Amino acid sequence: MPHPSVPAPGLAAPAPPEAPLPRAPAGTALYVHVPFCVVKCPYCDFFSVEAEGQDLSGTVAALLHEARARAPQAPKTVFIGGGTPSLLPEPLLVELFDGLDGLTGFRSSAVEVTAECNPESLDRDKARLLAQLGVTRLSVGVQSLNPDTLKFLGRAHEPEDALRALEAARGTDAAVGADMIYACPGQSVEDWEDELSRVLEFEPQHLSAYNLTIEEGTLFHVQRERGELMTAPEEVELACFERTREVAEAAGLGRYEISNYARPGHECQHNLTYWANGAYVGLGPGAVSKVGLARAGNPRSLAPYLRWVQNDEHATLWREQLDPLHRLGETWWLGLRRSAGVDPMEALLAAGLDGAVDDPAPGLAQELEQQGLLENVDGRWHLTDRGWPLADGVARKFLALGKQP
Amino acid sequence: MNSKYIRNFSIIAHIDHGKSTLADRMLEITNTVPKRAMKDRLLDDMELERERGITIKARSVTIHHDKDGQTYQLNLIDTPGHVDFSYEVEKSMQACEGAILLVDASQGVEAQTVANAILAMDAKLAVIPVLNKTDLAHSRPDEVCEEIENSLAIEATDAVRISAKTGENVEQVLDRIVDEVPAPSGNEDGPLRALIFDAVYDEYRGVIVHLRIVDGSLSKRDRVRMMSIGKVYETTEIGHFAPQMVPCESLHVGEVGYFISNIKALGDVRVGDTVTMHKGADVEALPGYREPQHMVFADFYPTNPGDYEVMRDALEALCLSDSSLTFEAVSSDALGFGYRCGFLGLLHMEIIEQRLEREYDLDLIQTAPSVTYEILTTNGEAKLIHSPGTLPNPDQYDELREPIARVSMLLPTEHIGPVLQISTDHRGTFVRQEHISPTRVQLVFDIPLAEIMYDFYDKLKSSTRGFGTLNYEVTGYRADNLVKLNILVASKEVDALSSIVHSSRADARGRAVLKKLRKEIPRHMFEVRLQAAVGSKILARESIAALRKDVTAKCYGGDISRKRKLLEKQKAGKRRMRQVGAVDIPQKAFLSVLGGDDK
Ligand SMILES: Nc1nc2c(ncn2[C@@H]2O[C@H](COP(=O)(O)OP(=O)(O)O)[C@@H](O)[C@H]2O)c(=O)[nH]1
Ligand code: SF4
Ligand SMILES: [Mg+2]
Repeated sequence: MPHPSVPAPGLAAPAPPEAPLPRAPAGTALYVHVPFCVVKCPYCDFFSVEAEGQDLSGTVAALLHEARARAPQAPKTVFIGGGTPSLLPEPLLVELFDGLDGLTGFRSSAVEVTAECNPESLDRDKARLLAQLGVTRLSVGVQSLNPDTLKFLGRAHEPEDALRALEAARGTDAAVGADMIYACPGQSVEDWEDELSRVLEFEPQHLSAYNLTIEEGTLFHVQRERGELMTAPEEVELACFERTREVAEAAGLGRYEISNYARPGHECQHNLTYWANGAYVGLGPGAVSKVGLARAGNPRSLAPYLRWVQNDEHATLWREQLDPLHRLGETWWLGLRRSAGVDPMEALLAAGLDGAVDDPAPGLAQELEQQGLLENVDGRWHLTDRGWPLADGVARKFLALGKQP
Repeated sequence: MNSKYIRNFSIIAHIDHGKSTLADRMLEITNTVPKRAMKDRLLDDMELERERGITIKARSVTIHHDKDGQTYQLNLIDTPGHVDFSYEVEKSMQACEGAILLVDASQGVEAQTVANAILAMDAKLAVIPVLNKTDLAHSRPDEVCEEIENSLAIEATDAVRISAKTGENVEQVLDRIVDEVPAPSGNEDGPLRALIFDAVYDEYRGVIVHLRIVDGSLSKRDRVRMMSIGKVYETTEIGHFAPQMVPCESLHVGEVGYFISNIKALGDVRVGDTVTMHKGADVEALPGYREPQHMVFADFYPTNPGDYEVMRDALEALCLSDSSLTFEAVSSDALGFGYRCGFLGLLHMEIIEQRLEREYDLDLIQTAPSVTYEILTTNGEAKLIHSPGTLPNPDQYDELREPIARVSMLLPTEHIGPVLQISTDHRGTFVRQEHISPTRVQLVFDIPLAEIMYDFYDKLKSSTRGFGTLNYEVTGYRADNLVKLNILVASKEVDALSSIVHSSRADARGRAVLKKLRKEIPRHMFEVRLQAAVGSKILARESIAALRKDVTAKCYGGDISRKRKLLEKQKAGKRRMRQVGAVDIPQKAFLSVLGGDDK
């Protein structure tokens, strides 16, 4: 295993370009990014690298080093994401969780601790260990139960691995979530319904079902630009989106966000914080934090992250603080992704505006209500059935509130 | 220099017959421009001119030529050839005593050859015919001489036969200019009278006034008056064009040059105005230029309403050097505040649009160009209508009249059939037909201007294998059965999309416009209904199906900033759109009204 990428002694490395955000108050949500996967999937735009040959233990040490300087005390929720946290060998998992608990006391404070797992690295022992280390939610990257689809998605597992992993997760006290992808080329609504139903037979508490999205900077994007990849037609995408809701609801999982479903009480609290435009601290390469009204992010690259954290205890590459109305628009955009919708007063507060300002958002909401995209129920604004699949169009309108004409 | 030794001339020709190339050769053999600084079409220095390979603005340059032991000053004015710019040609002619009529010896006489030659003869210039491109194997100089004689009654047997490309016989052309173009006839010692024939704006030095001294002389530090405006300026620099500006102490009778006086008020300088001494004898103003006839109007609206003022400044600056452009403020229900601009033709319009975008960095929405109509109101008044949107209801006028162009087309005899066909298809009426040589014929038709504005020229070209050319002149207005075609977007009438059409074409045009709009307007979050109507009668309908899926699947804490920027970038992609009601209409859609009824 090569040595951690630490600069040669005596060579002054430049410091991170931005100052770190101030230390977040106790109770703030905590995200930790484990940037390793077995193979890189061609559709994925999260920051991760193939684990083979990487310095896993050095990275865990760096995460803890950064946590020492930046992690909030007594976080309400913890999310260990990636990448693929489950691929870390058991001793490193112990080191990471024990270390974090020592620094933040999350085992006694957190109401929810999630770990993302992939089928090829989640067996009975790993699942049991994670639960012992404090994990209350195991989120399993099933993606598909069709061998061809898994191959197309470039995944490192077979359908049987996914079923075994779900079974392993179910054998613990932790709640189980299944992550899936639909509308792959050639997939019909019936194919999708079939796969989804088979996953729901495992009675997971949570389901994330994503329309396959071609993100910039991915291999799929390059292929599509070259005309080598055709995505599913709009009607199929829409039909899958709608069918997902029907099938999930029939299985007792309600939609609480555009792509997320849960049994009552099992909604992911950590993610709900994002959609409420709340505060969070993110550790690791590519992780983003929001403290107060500002957001800041680490580099989406391992080497500078490791070097900066080693030398400077943080790796803040960029910072942004939006104008008040822009923040308000952002809050509505994110908030409307939830079934719970948006309460205008809550949105003002989340955007850091005082309740006395002239609020342009409800006027816009009414305009969109006339177009049948939003509705107001008991003072909260929601996307209508027609509005759900058009959420981005609605979002652009709210984001434009911040721009001067 | 003594005016006896001055010759002012221009080169006139049909487009591509080689004016700019001939000017290059003249600059070269007279050593006006050192060989190493020579580049093709040197006088075409506007970016757009180089890109399109055409001359838009007339240029002037002073060259020196020796003949019989005497040095002569020749002032050359290069002119544009496209029919849209014939106004520029006319202007330059007033600063000259002679013109070289340059004819491509293989193409022969074409429509603008005739039109420009007639302008030159009307301006009483000495016309020297010159045959160009004789180096080409398929040139037919003898036949072309005959064409010149038959179509223009200009003696052409001794026309100089040159190649502007190789320079062959170009020297002879210079000699002929000295011999045949009269020296300027002004009064050397009389009070100053100078004609402003062009002006350009320089950010640092103010307006640069291009003038021709008709009487007297002009020196540095003279205090001069613009006669029509009454403004007085002291010249801080005067000079010649070589072709760059070269300062000198004074300009004398017959000479062409410029003066600078740090003039920042663009309105103070009018092309066609007379410059005289502030404290001198009273003089009579020179005959100015006739008002250009604007036959095409279109509205320009800034995409960003905040650019309204910037756009006005830009238009003012463009008007200074292009006196054939006019503009006035307008407002539209659909598009807000903007300017209605008058142009000489479609190419002129396109050039102005591009200059606004490139030189002034403006993003603009342009409505489809329309000709000017005339109505006879119920109380007997004639009124001009520059924009279809402003046409009153039919019960308020007795007659709706459209401009008629007398279109003269020159083409090889074998293509007469199809050209007669397209002319009648475009509601033309036959006027006459003349053979100018055994193989070439001139056809004259009266055709509504609106009919020739769009693709008539292309059709003429394609039905004559590229050999047909045309020129036109608007001769008057004629009443016809015309109606206003309204376009409704989401049940709302959009004034900027209405047009005036012949009633027999309303149906087809309505359908064609909606088809194009359907392609141009993006899908919205709701169904967008399109209708074409005359009065309350709906002639055609289309609809743009609602967008049904537009949603980001994944959005978590690490993605928020990136996804937000992505959404905003998609929004910015809609910059060149205007919102009408709840519908975003892209710039290009406003041009859908233009054009043929063909599918
Ligand atoms: N073979 C040949 N080509 C020429 C000659 N003069 C001009 N051309 C070409 O004809 C085209 C049009 O010339 P240009 O000077 O731009 O024409 P303008 O539109 O009248 O100014 C260019 O491609 C020239 O290179 C000539 O004497 N012989
Ligand atoms: S396993 Fe997950 S994080 Fe890793 S590359 Fe694939 S999709 Fe991305
Ligand atoms: Mg030219």
